[in-house]
Amino acid sequence: MIKRTVKIINSLGLHARPCTMLVKTSTRFRSDFKLRKDDITVNGKSIMGVMTLAAEMGSELELIVDGVDEESLLLEILELFQSKFGEE
Amino acid sequence: MQIFRGNSISKGIAIGKVKIIKRHKYNISRKRINKKEIETELIKFEKHIEEVIDDIDDLIKKKEHTKESIDILDTHKMILKDPDFSNNIKNLIQSDLLSLEKAIEEHFTQVIGIFNRMNNSLFSSRSSDYRDVAERLLGHILNQKKNDDKIDDIDIVFSETINPSEVTRFFTMNVKGFCVESGSKHSHSAIIARSMNIPMLTNFPNLLNSIKNDEIVILDGNEGLFIITPDEQTLDRYKQLLQEQIHYQNELTKIVDLKTQTLDKHIIKLMSNIEIPEEIDQVKKSKSEGIGLFRTEFLFIDRDTLPEEEEQFKIYKKIAESMYPEPVIIRTIDAGGDKLSNILNPIMEINPNLGLRGIRLSFAHKALFKIQIRAILRANIGGNIKIMFPMISCVKEIRKAKAIIKQCREELVTENKEHCEYIKIGAMIEIPSAALTSDIISKECDFLSIGTNDLTQYTLAVDRDNEMVDKYYCSIHPAVIQLIKTTIKNAHDNGILVAVCGEMASTNELIPLLIGLGIDELSVSPGKLLELKQIILDLSYKKSKSLAYQILKMDTIEQIKKKLKHV
Repeated sequence: MIKRTVKIINSLGLHARPCTMLVKTSTRFRSDFKLRKDDITVNGKSIMGVMTLAAEMGSELELIVDGVDEESLLLEILELFQSKFGEE
Repeated sequence: MQIFRGNSISKGIAIGKVKIIKRHKYNISRKRINKKEIETELIKFEKHIEEVIDDIDDLIKKKEHTKESIDILDTHKMILKDPDFSNNIKNLIQSDLLSLEKAIEEHFTQVIGIFNRMNNSLFSSRSSDYRDVAERLLGHILNQKKNDDKIDDIDIVFSETINPSEVTRFFTMNVKGFCVESGSKHSHSAIIARSMNIPMLTNFPNLLNSIKNDEIVILDGNEGLFIITPDEQTLDRYKQLLQEQIHYQNELTKIVDLKTQTLDKHIIKLMSNIEIPEEIDQVKKSKSEGIGLFRTEFLFIDRDTLPEEEEQFKIYKKIAESMYPEPVIIRTIDAGGDKLSNILNPIMEINPNLGLRGIRLSFAHKALFKIQIRAILRANIGGNIKIMFPMISCVKEIRKAKAIIKQCREELVTENKEHCEYIKIGAMIEIPSAALTSDIISKECDFLSIGTNDLTQYTLAVDRDNEMVDKYYCSIHPAVIQLIKTTIKNAHDNGILVAVCGEMASTNELIPLLIGLGIDELSVSPGKLLELKQIILDLSYKKSKSLAYQILKMDTIEQIKKKLKHV
């Protein structure tokens, strides 16, 4: 299991499109993927879960990956956050 | 007899029967199951999910979609495949012994509740996706079609809200009018209703509890009220009014094919203002001589991503092709930062009307502006598109905009993308400084278009949405008329044409004045076009010129008003 904290840097936060991208990416992997914001933890492979976080720009998220391909999953997810989900 | 008062967002009169369209209400009769049914219920769940996903796939394949609508359908698929969703449903069936349909209703009610409690509208507005999916899924399981196929042509639709595709669909079913609990004058639904000349009323809290299906109703979109079970006298009076309205509309259809000219054969070009592509059908019906103003900001607001170049390109191309060879004037985004706030995150301005709007906003977001220009240039394969820039205050801005067009064109050449090499350029004249220097601006433009609403607001320093000062707002103030006159003269001296696309062009009593001042083109909402044509057909250009001459010499609004009344 790996845990990593990221900050949301795209100006619109985790709105519909970034959420879709997160889920599309994570469901390609076998490992579990969870997201924690404050004291709420959601399934990162669930569009509903990710969207209900309503994470705005500047908020911090903990990414929790666990499984056989956890490293490559984490890498791709971090890449999405860093590229601001292709915005701007 | 009972009278309900609200607001009119589309004028006209309709008499018919109440047809209540309830949203997302399914009749779930089987709520609980026994333990033996669990297994079949779970199998049913898998089967229905698969079928609905297949339906969505078919839908994606079948229709011509914008990128945004495909994104939405994709999200819907993702919601159906959501592991949390299926776990929750299975749990509700197994542990709580709920029927499949009840479990689904329960689940989505919860989820929608979570979204509705969010503070940020960008997030909370997504509840609509979940509502759509719930509706789609329940409709499939219960095999209940939405009750909209039973609509009669004498029906008046009553609903909580109504979306644009429903307005269009009901229109083809000959629905006579719409009445909704809430909805804005600026909503796409209202725009479509206006261009189709169907009355639409809004602002009736608790509407659906005050009426019953099949009651006789009179919808009065001129006064903003409706009357349930009217007495005989009232009904007769409205039948009379409706007859007159129908007679008038029929008379107007007779002039559709006539050339627009005054009695003494002075030709005026009549064009249409549109805000969304769905209005094109109405434009074609009224035989408009082109699109005089396509307000593109409506492609940008009410969404959380900007339309990309491809999406804009497709929309512009479709409009240009369907209007060909008539011209289509595309006005670049004319919104204040406030309207695009979801996307551009602007600083709140104290005085937005004097702030970053129109061409200034485009210059401040050059990348956004270039995407729009490139899409326009690429769509102009037939050569019938023209570009118009809003909120021009001096010639420098036109030159700057032209330089950006040049830059975009060079990029397209390098990228080997198809586009038209030449495009006509025009300026909106809506700031007094532009009207006063219109001789210089005319030299850089192929046409001018006067936006009378803003020109009046900026000339008289009156915000017409401010109730405390709106009595000072008057488009026939001598100063405004002088500025219009100056603009027309300067344009004509430089050999270019001038249009009016503001509200003045759709105010019947002002038409003789505008034509007398020498305006070449008028652009109005498609629903208003034939009425305007009739006025012009009955007009004498010679008399209009003499009227304008006299009005230009008058000192006060009152004198001018009196004069116009006696025309």
